[in-house]
Amino acid sequence: MPPKRAKSIIAKGQPRRFYGQGIPGVDLTKLAGKLIVVEGADGSGRSTQIERLVQWLEGCGHATVQIGLKRSTLVSEDLDKAQEGNILSHRTMSLFYATDFADQLENNMLPALRSGFMVMADRYIYTLIVRDLVRGMDEKWLKNIYGIALAPDAVFYLDVAPEELIERNFAKNHALDYWESGMDLGLSPEIFDSFLKYQSLVAARFKDLQATYGFTIVNGNKSPDDVNLELRQNIERLLESH
Amino acid sequence: MKTFADLGFPGRLIAVEGLDGSGKSTQIYLLKRWLELQGLKVFFSEWNSSALVKNATSKGKKRELLTPTTFSLIHATDFADRYERHLVPLLRAGYLVLCDRYIFTAFARDTVRGCTPEWVRRIYDFAALPDLTFFFKADLEVSLNRILDNRPELKYFEAGMDMRLSADPYESFRIFQGRILEQYLGMRDEFNFVTIDANSSIEPQQQRVRELMTKRIDLSKFAMHIHSRSPFLTHAAKTR
Repeated sequence: MPPKRAKSIIAKGQPRRFYGQGIPGVDLTKLAGKLIVVEGADGSGRSTQIERLVQWLEGCGHATVQIGLKRSTLVSEDLDKAQEGNILSHRTMSLFYATDFADQLENNMLPALRSGFMVMADRYIYTLIVRDLVRGMDEKWLKNIYGIALAPDAVFYLDVAPEELIERNFAKNHALDYWESGMDLGLSPEIFDSFLKYQSLVAARFKDLQATYGFTIVNGNKSPDDVNLELRQNIERLLESH
Repeated sequence: MKTFADLGFPGRLIAVEGLDGSGKSTQIYLLKRWLELQGLKVFFSEWNSSALVKNATSKGKKRELLTPTTFSLIHATDFADRYERHLVPLLRAGYLVLCDRYIFTAFARDTVRGCTPEWVRRIYDFAALPDLTFFFKADLEVSLNRILDNRPELKYFEAGMDMRLSADPYESFRIFQGRILEQYLGMRDEFNFVTIDANSSIEPQQQRVRELMTKRIDLSKFAMHIHSRSPFLTHAAKTR
């Protein structure tokens, strides 16, 4: 497909909004860009898909910026350290992640959107909320905190069966990640079983949240090309509608 | 919201609040020494002091990276860490826990910086209320002079310079701390603050604090027992 010419992507449809209190002093009408979120577990193909979408968008003449969890200037290093030691409580970790998110929201996302960029988010508040819900944190408390978040223009959830995720993680690293296996929850002493149980819990919670936040669920068990085509069709529709 | 006593904790939490330069840190230090010298179980915890979070906070402050939202969240992270790691376990063990600033500092500061009061309060809704809160009420000029006596310059965030209230740090301090004072005064009744006149000299203030402590809290219950007589062990001892 030949790259399309760049066109204005200023939102005319749905008005921009924050989920709750938002960030003080932000003029939402000035956010000309688009915020597109891709959610899914490790091994769901998130990073691959985002990489391909960025190439495609830039080919079409859209400037893009990528954000993700634990990438803030402010706290990413300290968050890493805290995770290694595994000594902070769930609540403390939760607030630490919220700080990381807020820093990127204000210092990367909002400026980029103001400049009319396409912001591609590799995970967003939904992963953060789901992780904490699975760990027994209060939903209202979490939703209040993430009331600072901007409602994206599109959210894609790459839904992949836990068994398939295991295959892909092994093909890539020959190991499962401690946190992605929910080992801190004590679901099973064996990481293999823990991973399956944890990912099923997470997937169920994502489906619960779908009702509130309206994600587009994409069948991530399909081939990367098929998934990419589906994402592109959705994004094209989004860009054309404005 | 309930106090630790309401929740049946054997320990008691005492907080001090007030503007920078109100002298509250001096007062809580003297209170701590007095309690320690009586052989009581005392623990002291300071706002913004958790080891893991401190690094990020000081980086944020040094490089002026913090916005009202991240300022609020990073302090909440620090508080949650101290609360769950130190305050709650020690209160379970029957300690007198002294806090130099508590959740009211966040309620006052973050609101002045532009976060909505409901948002801030709900973040901290996991924390119980202090059993006794001393509010050190000093005039703005008094607190400003106390700060300047100790160091030549005002700190960036202390003076609220991030809010661009004035290019002059002293003027900015006055406006910013003035607004915080208003917030404190608004919370005084809601949270049963005991107001101490912080314009006066150190000794009478400390005397008043010690009198109130004796009146409000049965200090004899907090004596350090070497032979497992502390309240949290009694039950286990009985069932044996």
